[in-house]
Amino acid sequence: MATTVSTPQKETVQEYRRFSSVQRAQHLLLILSFTLLAITGLPQKFAGEGWAETMIAWMGTIENARLIHHYAAIVLVLVSIAEFVMIGYKIYVERARWTIFPRLQDAFDAFNQFFYNLGLRKDAPKYDRYAWGEKFEYWALVWGTAIMALTGFILWNPILSTKFLPGEWIPVAKAAHGGEAILAVLAILVWHIYNVHIKTFNKSMFTGKMSRHEMQEEHALELELLEQNKASYAAPIEIQQRRRRRFLPFAIIASALMLFAVYLFVTAETTAISTVPPVSAQQQVFVPRTFTPTATRVPPTATPLPATATLEPGKPTFTPAPAQSPTASGAQNAVALPADHAGRTVCQVCHATGVGGAPKNPPDHEGRLDSMCLDCHKPQ
Amino acid sequence: MNGSNIFPTRRAAQYGIRIRPLFVGIALALALAASLCVVSVSFAQGPTDNQSCLQCHSNPELSMTLASGEPLSLFVDSDVFHASIHGTLNVQCVQCHTDIQGYPHPPANYLDRRDVTLQNYRTCEGCHPDNYRKTLDSMHQVALAGGNRNAAVCTDCHTAHAVTDPATPRTRIPQTCAQCHSTISDQYIKSVHGEALFNDNNPDVPTCIDCHGVHGIGDPTTARFRLNSPQLCAKCHTDAAMMSKYGISTNVLNTYIADFHGTTVELFAKQHPDQPTNKPVCYDCHGVHDIKSTSDPASTVSTQENLLKTCRRCHPDATTASFTAAWMSHYEASPEKYPLVYYVNLFYWVIIPLTIGALLIYIASDVFQRVRRRFGKAKTMADKSSDQV
Repeated sequence: MATTVSTPQKETVQEYRRFSSVQRAQHLLLILSFTLLAITGLPQKFAGEGWAETMIAWMGTIENARLIHHYAAIVLVLVSIAEFVMIGYKIYVERARWTIFPRLQDAFDAFNQFFYNLGLRKDAPKYDRYAWGEKFEYWALVWGTAIMALTGFILWNPILSTKFLPGEWIPVAKAAHGGEAILAVLAILVWHIYNVHIKTFNKSMFTGKMSRHEMQEEHALELELLEQNKASYAAPIEIQQRRRRRFLPFAIIASALMLFAVYLFVTAETTAISTVPPVSAQQQVFVPRTFTPTATRVPPTATPLPATATLEPGKPTFTPAPAQSPTASGAQNAVALPADHAGRTVCQVCHATGVGGAPKNPPDHEGRLDSMCLDCHKPQ
Repeated sequence: MNGSNIFPTRRAAQYGIRIRPLFVGIALALALAASLCVVSVSFAQGPTDNQSCLQCHSNPELSMTLASGEPLSLFVDSDVFHASIHGTLNVQCVQCHTDIQGYPHPPANYLDRRDVTLQNYRTCEGCHPDNYRKTLDSMHQVALAGGNRNAAVCTDCHTAHAVTDPATPRTRIPQTCAQCHSTISDQYIKSVHGEALFNDNNPDVPTCIDCHGVHGIGDPTTARFRLNSPQLCAKCHTDAAMMSKYGISTNVLNTYIADFHGTTVELFAKQHPDQPTNKPVCYDCHGVHDIKSTSDPASTVSTQENLLKTCRRCHPDATTASFTAAWMSHYEASPEKYPLVYYVNLFYWVIIPLTIGALLIYIASDVFQRVRRRFGKAKTMADKSSDQV
């Protein structure tokens, strides 16, 4: 961090090295993962809202959103691991000044800057390599990532988590994960966007460099230290090389352990079956009480018909005439057809009126058709 | 129908065609004759009034033998028929038996008893076209079209001659379905809904048709049915007036949707209703036809032990009771229930506006300072020094 090297390019414009290529790459990956986490995470939290549904529809399904969220989380954790190694390198190998760590002076700076802004102080505070606002943002990110990783682990691996934690911690983790997410996204939108994009467009995180004018505006104290050659405690190159040799195996082991932890994080458990849960109604559906539904009612016993069917008042009454029905017994007692009638198909012409001495129909045969006669009156 | 003959149409008037009263009289006479003719033609083939039919069909022994060898009773119990809804409306036999114009009847080509039903049930469409068409989209018709002759048609549920209100009393409904779905009906009768229906004649509890529909009974094994099922349960379970009678929370749907399972199901139902998801719906935890009260020890969700067993159907690796406690049991976090969740939420409710508010105030002060520095007179030391660069 403190390896800032002044590189005079032109006579009047002096640039100062501010971020290494590793740090810039980290920042790009952070932008990528943070943005993906936000755009896949917030619609999950606000799934009932119209905008969230639209966003989820873009992603296909909410399951896709979860999948992208998980991959982005892995990227963020990897960026964090790189940061741990970087900090260790700077502290141990470079013996850099602990410029990113908060000091009491930062609190004073914050108040002094505020009073200066209001016109209550004459002078603005001079800032070292990192102003209080930048430290605030850095540590907010560290704290936020820690909370999100921890609660994210709990949500990702609820079965494993509840072996050590009470069940209530799962919804607690969900509440904290969502709350912290809103806080982080709003903080970035408000604080980060204002300070490095609106106030001035600070490109140093992309170019790695800062002009002398910008340094004077935002890091006046560091500029002074640089000019007095006090900004770095860099040890002689041989000592740094010796430390680097010692640091390397430690860094490799630590990185391997942390990467293994990430592997566990991702594969710790299979939370649920991937198929649709077996429904308890999966059973034989067609189990009829009777053998098959019958076409019409089969009467169990042949009950004689009542002479008059009594019906409820208001309903049409109907009096069946049992005598008229060609019952089984009626059919048996029917007069047999004379032999000379064989082949005849017309009956009522004679029998309806009794013309020519033909036996007249009994009254109950009223309305019967020629085609019905042979049903009962069988030929001899 | 005859109205158009009697009165000149607009077009007729337009073309100046004059319709004389005599012509009107002829038209009227023809119309009358035509309507009489319908009756007289029928007479020519035989009487078709119910009384004539019953002359033969009131004989309990009247039967025929079908091609399959099964006997088919041709008896119609006139008492039962006249007590039926059709009997009271004086519906004529031939209005349903449209193939019969008198006696003798046309030859009946029935293979077996089932065939009699299957050949005749479509006659219901004549008077009940809406309900009939609904059945065309039903699970039963799909099964029938697929060759399952047992699939229910109109008369299987309503009967042919003894049609009365199928929902009076309400207990008739599950009993009707039980004719074919006896095991499911047995489960239902023992469920919290079925017990209330049969023991207390409860008017609120659902019967089969409240969930499955009546004529257009859909396939309940589809992803779509599954995904829409929470809203089906919610129809009653978010009805405050109804639920207050039984002391049941109406927050069951909200709390379900707010959680991981319900969020997923709800979104799938809206966006991908035919795509299955492994997240559970109400009946995956509470049971399908055998739903018990959550206070019933036999309920799938009542005791810690039962709940774990239920969770394990989807989470087979879960072994601890604390895993089950991760589900907030349809409670909303409060100082009494799930206080930690409540206070974490409260913490963020307070800390988010405070933090963002403080940052905004600070930013406002910075904007103020910059505006003042650019346009105002007050120049600080830093300004002067930067001016020199």
